[in-house]
Parts: sequence; C-alpha cells; structure tokens
Amino acid sequence: MTAAKRKPFFLWRHLNKLRWLSLSLVFAMLVALPCLHVYQTYRAAHAYDLLAPSEQRFYDIMETLTSPLTDDPAEDLDVVKGSTWSGNFWGLKLSDPLAALGHISAGLTLYWPFLLTALIPLVITAIFGRIFCGWLCPANFLYELNTNLTAWLQWAGLKVGHRRFDRRIKYLVLAVGLLLSVFSGSIMVAAVYPPAIVGRELYYGIAQGGFGVGMVFFAGTLLFDLLVARRGFCRYLCPGGALYSLLGRYRLVRLRRLVEACNDCRKCNAVCEFELDPWRDGFGQECTNCAACIAICPTNAMTFDIRPFDHPEQGPGHLGQRYRRGREEQMDEAV
Amino acid sequence: MRRRGLLHGTAAAGALLTGGVLPYALTAILAPGEARPRRNHLRPPGAPRDDEAFVAACIGCGLCGEVCPPRCIQFHRRDGGARVNTPYIDPGQRACTLCGKCMETCPTDALIRVPPADAAMGLARIDRTACYPWVDRGICGACVTVCPLGGRAIGFDFANIYRPVIRKGCVGCGLCVEVCPHPSKPIWINPPKQSTNSVGEV
Repeated sequence: MTAAKRKPFFLWRHLNKLRWLSLSLVFAMLVALPCLHVYQTYRAAHAYDLLAPSEQRFYDIMETLTSPLTDDPAEDLDVVKGSTWSGNFWGLKLSDPLAALGHISAGLTLYWPFLLTALIPLVITAIFGRIFCGWLCPANFLYELNTNLTAWLQWAGLKVGHRRFDRRIKYLVLAVGLLLSVFSGSIMVAAVYPPAIVGRELYYGIAQGGFGVGMVFFAGTLLFDLLVARRGFCRYLCPGGALYSLLGRYRLVRLRRLVEACNDCRKCNAVCEFELDPWRDGFGQECTNCAACIAICPTNAMTFDIRPFDHPEQGPGHLGQRYRRGREEQMDEAV
Repeated sequence: MRRRGLLHGTAAAGALLTGGVLPYALTAILAPGEARPRRNHLRPPGAPRDDEAFVAACIGCGLCGEVCPPRCIQFHRRDGGARVNTPYIDPGQRACTLCGKCMETCPTDALIRVPPADAAMGLARIDRTACYPWVDRGICGACVTVCPLGGRAIGFDFANIYRPVIRKGCVGCGLCVEVCPHPSKPIWINPPKQSTNSVGEV
C-alpha cells in the first residue's frame, strides 16, 4: 500500500498561477516592445522639441521607465526585439517551428541559420509537449480571458457555443497551409496563426499607426470561440497547435491521474480548456501541460509524470463511489 | 445502406476540407491583392533583387521594422494578397539611412547582411524637366548633400555644378527623395530590375 501514499509535489498546485504570470509577461512584452521602439526612434532623432504634447508625455513616461536601465536607449534597448513568432533576446535568436516549416515550404530551401533558431523551441516541445500553447502564446492569453467572458455571458443567461468538431481538422489546416505556401510562394500559415497575428498587430497598432487585417481575423476567431465552440480555434483550427501536438506526441513530461487519490469528481474535465479527458486518463498529444487540472483537483490526485506515453485508463478513482461499490461487490463474491 | 455511408463520408470529407481551407480563404478575402506595386515602394536593404524570392523568405515577423531607427520600414498591413505583412519603404514619406540594423536582425534570408554600398534597393532617377537646378529655377543640391554614399551615388553635373546627376554607385536608399524640396518630387527610385540599363539618363 505504499502507492496510496504518493503525493504530488506541493508546488504543482500553484503552477497555474505561474502560468498566468508567464502569459501576462509575454503579453506585456508584446505591448512594451513597440512602445520602446517608438521611444527609441524619438531618441535617435533628438526629436523631443518637435513632438506633439501627447507624444512628449509618452516620451517622458518611457524615459522615466527606461532611465534606470540604460543611458543610451537608442542602442541598448535593441537587445530584446520581436515577438513569439521570431525574436532576438540578448543575441539569442528564437523562432517558432511553424515559421521554420513555412519558410521551408514557401521557398523550398533549407536556410540553416534560420532553421537553427527553431531548434530550442523544438527540443522544449519534444520534452514538454504543447507548452508554448499553454504557457507563452499571447493569443492563448486572450482566448482564456475570452473563455471567462463566455462563462459570464452564460451566467447572465446568454447563449454561447458548445459545438464540437473533429480535432483532426487542425492537422488538415496545417497541411493545407504548407501546400498553399508551396504553391503561392509566400508563408500562408503566418496569416492564420494567432500568436503571430497578435504579436504583429500589437506592433502595427502601436508603432505603425493602425491595425492590419490580422486584427479582423483574430476578432473573428474570438467570436468563433464565443459563439460556436469553446476554445474552438485552438482545438480545431490552429496550424501551430497542430504542429506542436505532433511534436509533443511522445513528450516526456506529462500529466497523470493518481487513481488511488481520485474521487471521480470530474472537475478536471470541466476545467480543461481543451476539453480533454483527464478523469479517464485521456490526455493525449493535445494536452498543453497547463496544470489547470492540478490546481482544481480537490484531492491532490493530479501530478506530473515522466514517461513517453499516457497511462492506460486506470478505472474509477479509489475514493469515488463507483470504486467502493465495485469493491463491495467483489467482497460479496469472495464471501 | 452503402450508398448512404458513402454519402456521409463524402459530406464529412467535404466539411473537413472546408474547415481546413476556411482560414486561408478568409485571409485572402481580408487582404486583397495589389495589381501592381506602387512607384517608390522599395524593399529594405539586403533584400534579393527577385521580389518573389523575398516574399518566399519573409516570415512577416516585423523585426526589421522594429529595429529601424528612422522607422522608415512599413508593412503591407491591409493589402498585398500573398505579400501581406511584408515590409516596404516609401522614401517619399521616410527614407532608409542604410544603418544596416534590419539586415542584422532579420532571422531569415529575406534580408542578407551586405555593406551599404551593395544594398541594391533600387536606383534613383531625376526628372530633368522639373528639378529646380535643371530648369534653372535656382540652386538646390539637397539630394547631393544628404546622400549617405557621398560622391559615388549622386554628384553634380560636369557642365553645371548645381545640377545633380545619378552615378553608378546609387543603391536607392531614397534619402534624396525624402529631402527633395520640390512638391512633385522630380527624383524617385526605380526598382532594381528595370534600372540595370541606361544609368542616370532619362
């Protein structure tokens, strides 16, 4: 009975808060970088006296924020640039694996200096699965807030969408996108991939004087999530999600239900943004390791495990009624 | 019964395919293609001469724009069809200073690091029927003064030392277009392809 004493590491219950912190930081970065860029251009041009009063106010705010960090913002603030699609962090260039794949298929070439920038995200995905979706994706941040809005609307008595589709559509979206890239000679997946859109549009909106078409598309996906299917775009249509799911299929770090501590309350199934089936040990390749099910589990029955496959279904939880009833029946039979 | 199964299968496959194509169709509708690139739309320095190769290599990350000190790099935000989200420079609004930061930061081979003198963004042309010194409406020389490549790209005519002429070293950064005081901008940048012949003559 040593197995019954297994307990998940206590910090894992708080991972979901850490995840929200990470999502907020990424989003804040995407808002801050264009602002810093505009400030840098003002600095480089020594343009303070030419600015409009509102721009001068902006300049003053940015100067207050950055002056403790650097004396030469026009040069020093270049150390962090970009978005989650492709970025430059203190000399380390990182890119989305989907960008690398799109680049290969649009040009039908292998340009190694670029492909290598996708290597670190690739390795991380192979170990942790769709961790980008759950922990970094700036669109996921907005989509999860959108889910909360859905809950409020539902509470207010409005009708929201709960349709289900085939999860495999997104793999088709990925395949179609890559094929279209080959035939059109431009990276088509970039135009329908929400994290790339959000990063880009925030930059356009702040530093380029207005949003582009991507914002319309993104608003459409928010409405789709709201009115048609909860988290529908991520689950059914996102080409990046499809790629990460495939890469994370044999991920090493995955969630696991401790059957002896489970009481079959099914809160994990209710909280799962991707409508997976943690209660029946059905995590699969789509799980983002977001740890929401760990945070909500009332009996500490969710934990992380290191193994390349999911556990086979373990049956009813040992603290649940079904298991106890089954045991009693077995006892009766034995007697 | 089998026919029904076939029908259902076809319907499901059709629905799947619609779902797969739908996002791309939406973006195609949202960003209508441009029939022709407008005059004075340049690619950033270091871009390949072949625009198809540039579009195939650009992932639309916006990094080149995000490091540009004069903020001259703009993006096809709402137009361009397959070229949507690719960068361009309109020297009439703000021109490139050939600082090279975009080439350094570009993660792909869309912008390759080259020295400023090999940037090959285009070639400047002067309309000699409008330029002030060329029509004897005064002395100007703003374009010659501002040129970052010095005498290699633009200089004064031998016969009349106030009339600017384009030389072979011009890479088309467009600073001359930006500073030109003439309201109709009698200096402009031709894309690199058309400019390979008849250098400096109009």
